[in-house]
Amino acid sequence: MPPAATAALPSIQALPTSGGMVPSRTTPAPKLTKQWQRESARSYGLGLAPALVVLGGITLLPLLTLITVSLTPLSLTNPEGTFHFNQPLGNYAQLLEDERFVHSLWVQFKLSTVGVVLQLLIGLSLALLLNTGSRVASGVRTLFLIPMVLPPIVVALIWKILYTPEISPMHALLEHWGLPVRSLIANPDTALWAIVAADVWQWFPFTMLMVLANLQMVPRDPLDAARIDGANRWQVFRYIVFPFLQRTLVVCALFRLIDSFKAFPLLYVLTNGGPGTVTEVTNFYGFIQAFNFSYWGYGSAIAVVMLVIIFALCALVSYLGRNAGERHAR
Amino acid sequence: MHAEASLPISAPQKASWNALTGIPAFAARHARDVISVLLLLVLLAPVAWLIQMAFRPAADALELNFQFTPTLDAFKALWQDAFARSFGNSLLVSSLSTGLSMLIGVPAAYALSRWKFRQRSHVALWILCTRMAPPIAFTIPFFLAFRWLGMLDTVWALVIVYLTFNLAIVTWMMQGFFDAIPTALEEAAWLDGCGIWSAFWHVTLPLTRPGLVATAVLCFIFSWSDFFFALILTRTQAVTAPVAIVNFLQYDGWEWTKIAAAGTLVMLPVLIFTALVRKYLVHGLTAGGVKD
Repeated sequence: MPPAATAALPSIQALPTSGGMVPSRTTPAPKLTKQWQRESARSYGLGLAPALVVLGGITLLPLLTLITVSLTPLSLTNPEGTFHFNQPLGNYAQLLEDERFVHSLWVQFKLSTVGVVLQLLIGLSLALLLNTGSRVASGVRTLFLIPMVLPPIVVALIWKILYTPEISPMHALLEHWGLPVRSLIANPDTALWAIVAADVWQWFPFTMLMVLANLQMVPRDPLDAARIDGANRWQVFRYIVFPFLQRTLVVCALFRLIDSFKAFPLLYVLTNGGPGTVTEVTNFYGFIQAFNFSYWGYGSAIAVVMLVIIFALCALVSYLGRNAGERHAR
Repeated sequence: MHAEASLPISAPQKASWNALTGIPAFAARHARDVISVLLLLVLLAPVAWLIQMAFRPAADALELNFQFTPTLDAFKALWQDAFARSFGNSLLVSSLSTGLSMLIGVPAAYALSRWKFRQRSHVALWILCTRMAPPIAFTIPFFLAFRWLGMLDTVWALVIVYLTFNLAIVTWMMQGFFDAIPTALEEAAWLDGCGIWSAFWHVTLPLTRPGLVATAVLCFIFSWSDFFFALILTRTQAVTAPVAIVNFLQYDGWEWTKIAAAGTLVMLPVLIFTALVRKYLVHGLTAGGVKD
């Protein structure tokens, strides 16, 4: 029998770490160690400081500006609105009554949930398909990642071509089979799902990648044991592999959910939020308010609402991630 | 299930277990290979279609056949166009931003990897959060600030904005690479009288060279791929290649071969670079769920 299954799991805690700054047994004198620790802390601090200063300048400062602006009516038509705090929550109150905003949240919800579910299903199936020792599978694995690394604008361009009937090979094929379809992105009933299809095409490799990495850590012993006990493929997957993957899938889903709030190039190039406002997600609506209409205060308020939602999801990720770590370490 | 469960199969007889499930192991594996290759072809067909469009003569652009003589006309037209300039802008912005974020981020990553101070996890989390925040939250304040400073439509505005995600990538990725290097070598250097940073420079940094290259390449790719920030913060002077493509879509009367050629040129560096850092790609792409 090979060693216990848990030994095969890489655990961060098990990695050799040298705790202190200096190998404790071989140091000459404790006095020197103290001094060395102080000195090393100072030089590490010096190395970290520029990054912290720059990050503070480019993240905290904009965040404060964003929140401040969101409390003012600042816009192109109202330049004096810069430091105008008469109705600090005016923008937020308006958001609640803004049907287009509420609608954008609903569109975002549809796009995110359907997209994430499809990405999980396809990513998981492909990971299981490619999880063999065969040379073809290992050679093909990286090629499956291509959609994910392509610049988003190129992805949008590719789908613009596929969804434009006059030049689309997809439409040509459908017509050849006697199924002429009018442009999917011009039809209000299908526009959002056409976007979802493109988004899934681009991002299912992310799930595939995470699941594949995780599959390689599935302990062999329970698998062999189950097979010896006569479990079939489905049972092995359902009762041994899937429980092992569960956390990864949840974290994956949350990552993709967070990222789905940023979908922009596809929407901008394919539908521009249309037809009407059928594909207008919250991010896109914020963009329109801020940069098409120059209502910077109102656009900021939308961005703040999105930040709150995303950071709540982030907190969930780090909570689940920590739990997953503990489970694996056990 | 139960019929099989009662069969006495032991580990050395795994082959016979495979036979029981219906398909012999080698045949099953080949079937999977065939299916995965077919799926890959379907998946990448749209990309191939874009590339072949770039080589068509303009008159043939809308034809749906493969009977054409490949030509470089579309690329030549792009070269004489403003696109060449935007391509140059993209190269400049991406290199500058990559260089700057490596310069600031690598020492920070080293400090985060070696220095066990109390707020360490908080700093790391903060850096990850910058990666998660929606770009719109950054663009409004940056737009207003650059407008006020007169920096809209400049290369430097983009270089600074791209630090928001590049610094996060560098610190997260490099921290991982530094963690993987045992501290014993540095400690030896310290005992020999090296300072922390000279030990870092002479001992640790050379050991992480592949990691440095992979990180820089990923930073370059992410900056190169950005569309959102470039769309908002540039007008004419500092326009990058992705934004130039959209301008083609809007103003140039749908010259599809030119659009396809531009798309091909924009994806080319990304494909080459990812092929180069294939080994580290996974590490970078999953570090905190990095994307864009």
